[in-house]
Amino acid sequence: MAMNDKITQMLFNVLDELNQLRPREEHLKKDLGTPLAGGSGRLDSAGLINLIVLTEQKTAQELGSPILLTDDRTMSQINEVFRTLGSLADYIHLLLNEKRHG
Amino acid sequence: MEIKTFTVADLQLALLSEDFWLTKTLPITKQRALSFCQNPRAEKNDPVLLVAYQDARVVGYLGILPDKIFFNNADHKLGWLTGWWVDPSIATNGTGVILLYKALNTYRERIGVSGGSREARKVLDASQKFIALNPLKGIDIRFRFNATKTMLRKFSSMKIFRVGFKVADVLLDEIVNLRSFSWERRNSIRQRLTFEYVSTVDEETGRFIEQHYHHDLTRKGKADLNWIMTCPWIVSAPQKDAASKRYYFSSVSARYYYLGVKVYAQNNEMVGFLLLNVRDDRMSVAYAHFEGRHAPTIAAAAVYHALAMDVSTLVLYDERLVKSVAGLHCPCWSTQSISRGFFLSKAFADIPMADCRLHGGDGDFAFY
Repeated sequence: MAMNDKITQMLFNVLDELNQLRPREEHLKKDLGTPLAGGSGRLDSAGLINLIVLTEQKTAQELGSPILLTDDRTMSQINEVFRTLGSLADYIHLLLNEKRHG
Repeated sequence: MEIKTFTVADLQLALLSEDFWLTKTLPITKQRALSFCQNPRAEKNDPVLLVAYQDARVVGYLGILPDKIFFNNADHKLGWLTGWWVDPSIATNGTGVILLYKALNTYRERIGVSGGSREARKVLDASQKFIALNPLKGIDIRFRFNATKTMLRKFSSMKIFRVGFKVADVLLDEIVNLRSFSWERRNSIRQRLTFEYVSTVDEETGRFIEQHYHHDLTRKGKADLNWIMTCPWIVSAPQKDAASKRYYFSSVSARYYYLGVKVYAQNNEMVGFLLLNVRDDRMSVAYAHFEGRHAPTIAAAAVYHALAMDVSTLVLYDERLVKSVAGLHCPCWSTQSISRGFFLSKAFADIPMADCRLHGGDGDFAFY
């Protein structure tokens, strides 16, 4: 499976767990276009932190490579990184690539 | 959105600038900023305030109170989060999250939280970065019935009976006054004890505190308590001023002050020190130092002062004082168990909390 697909699947698994913590009417759709944070986002602070923590955990478990989404670099572009599920997938891809190439 | 980090030195400059205070929403009051700059446990380059700006507008802020905690024979620096606010109209743009992680990163994950709103606790839980300490269990002792306040708060439609409630309060207060008089005589407080009042901690008290604070997690000494007493965040004022209307957290109260009470036994031996915090009709014991055997005496001294200062409620968090209050049969209408929550980041997971004592004023509680 290509890295992009692996990241997408991992994020869908994250959403499965995240949705368990949320009321049914606030469930997030497993779609790369789903807005997360920012203007059209649906996650409040606690929801966004749950997403960050679950994503860090699942990336380590399922992709075998821990990443950090709480550093100053990520925080300084939080609305771009967490705009949609797709933008988060792109950012994780970037971080994994950076790790791979040192 | 831009996050600006203000160190103590930056805040000192901000106090001199005019621009910093022009924003529609204030990220801090001048009174609080002055206090932050005087914190004896803060260094010039310690970050103490994070402010989120969007289009030159303040959309969020988080204060950090540098402090030290003591365990395993060493002191450890940390920052207590205080005054954490995000503009509710942008609740989903991650501002609160940025502020929290910025604070954690800046203080190398050495952060403490005292109290906090339900929303804030939800966020702390979600981050999985914090451990909850055993809550500090205290007691609210209500001396005044305060029918007017109680009834009108519950049933606002009963406003037309306000005068009736006030009359009832006056009569009930007289009953309390009689009971207080009899309680004081029964306990012969003024025969058994003498008091000395201080607005700052003197040398004798400083030495006394040092003899008694070895199990305290924060070991607040003379300089620390002087800072609390002389640099409050809340000002006594008859009404809200312009700044307080632009700042989310408390900054003025009708009555607000600290009082240091040195308690002496008949033989002139100093047996205790209480740092009392009076806010409107409520008095709390922020810090209490004494030997365990004197707990009933010190508890009686606290009750005596609550009655003398005519407050409605006395709040105690010292475990020994709370236990002693039951035996005092004080002239109150009711007592209620209360608690205060403290959280520390997981960097402090190895604290032997069984050996550490928290005071009611720890974290940022001494300032409210």
